[in-house]
Amino acid sequence: MSLLSCPRLLLRAGQRLQPLLLSRHSSSLKEPPSIDTPSIDIPSTSSLVKDNVMSSGEGLLPDKSNSPSVLNGQLTQPSGSPELPVTNWEQRLNGLSGKARLPRSVQAVYLRPLRRKAEHGLPVCDLQLRSYSVRNVEFFSDFAIRAAYYLGLPASGPVPLPRIVERWTVPRSNFVHKKSQENFERITLRRLIQIKDGNPETVQAWLAFLRKYAFHGVGMKANIWEYDSLDVAENLDKTGEETERSLEGLFSYFGQREDTRSDRSLTDMLDKNHLVTTKSPLSEVGSR
Amino acid sequence: MSMFRSKKLDLGGFVNGKIIRDHTKRKVFEQHEAERQALRYVIRNTSLPQRARAQAQLQLATMHAYTRSTQIKNRCVAGGTARFIIRDFRLGRFQFREQALAGELPGVRKASW
Repeated sequence: MSLLSCPRLLLRAGQRLQPLLLSRHSSSLKEPPSIDTPSIDIPSTSSLVKDNVMSSGEGLLPDKSNSPSVLNGQLTQPSGSPELPVTNWEQRLNGLSGKARLPRSVQAVYLRPLRRKAEHGLPVCDLQLRSYSVRNVEFFSDFAIRAAYYLGLPASGPVPLPRIVERWTVPRSNFVHKKSQENFERITLRRLIQIKDGNPETVQAWLAFLRKYAFHGVGMKANIWEYDSLDVAENLDKTGEETERSLEGLFSYFGQREDTRSDRSLTDMLDKNHLVTTKSPLSEVGSR
Repeated sequence: MSMFRSKKLDLGGFVNGKIIRDHTKRKVFEQHEAERQALRYVIRNTSLPQRARAQAQLQLATMHAYTRSTQIKNRCVAGGTARFIIRDFRLGRFQFREQALAGELPGVRKASW
């Protein structure tokens, strides 16, 4: 009943999402109207019921469970047809459209994305989205902004960056017919979303979420800035040992490969090589 | 050269003799790249003895032609032609046109301006 009481917002949302509400609504219909219900409710329910009366009066939609209880005796002949939920579908939808609203979170999908306000305005992350199609990139940037809102990140954008146009001109056929050529192009569209004042871990979570739900035909590129306190040098000294320890494994990979290692010096190598001939090319001939 | 060519075909897609040859050259170049660079370094380093530098020069000159990067030539992956290869797609001009018109290259369409 509470759903029915504040209905107007739904009108704009369109009827696509109506079926979601239908089950609740039908259950509420089955209750007999009580005196306790607020005054707004009564006209709305009764108008809905009237539709039912009309339809069943025509004989097209015989109704059993819904109408008689609600109608308080207006309907005289409840007939026992088993296919009632199907028959009433359209009527229910029509009756519902003005009287119920969607949950707020679902409504938000139809409205512009919500945003958080940045407190300090420090940029933390730049996300660039690229695609060849406007629809995809627009859709996904919208998605990214909504995700940022629900993660509590203040996002600005999407800023449309200049398009990247690549063009190629190729001859239509053989070299002889160079005069007849054809042009092709590929236009890359870009959108920039900037996150401000975000906690670095939250930003990482946001990026991971976007990667998980990556949209087809949309590429992503993120620049992340990290901020540190003013005494950077001290912090570096503190973390230095740890970093070295963590890098030990990696450093072990550097240097020469085992199988190519040799102890000879460079000059030795050059001396001993097969190329070194003390004789001049013609000395053989001369000795003969 | 046959000594460098792999015994089993190690290429997919469109294959012909020239493509196999080019592929072999790429592999040989990759194997010997470090050696070449070392020799080039020795040749140019004026602090090394002149003798060593001259020897390095000779060695570099005697290395096989396949170890040179200049031997590598881009070829169309769909047709094997060596001219007018569009680098973004690694296709020759005609293969590019055919595939673009067929809509197989994402984002590419006929331009008019």
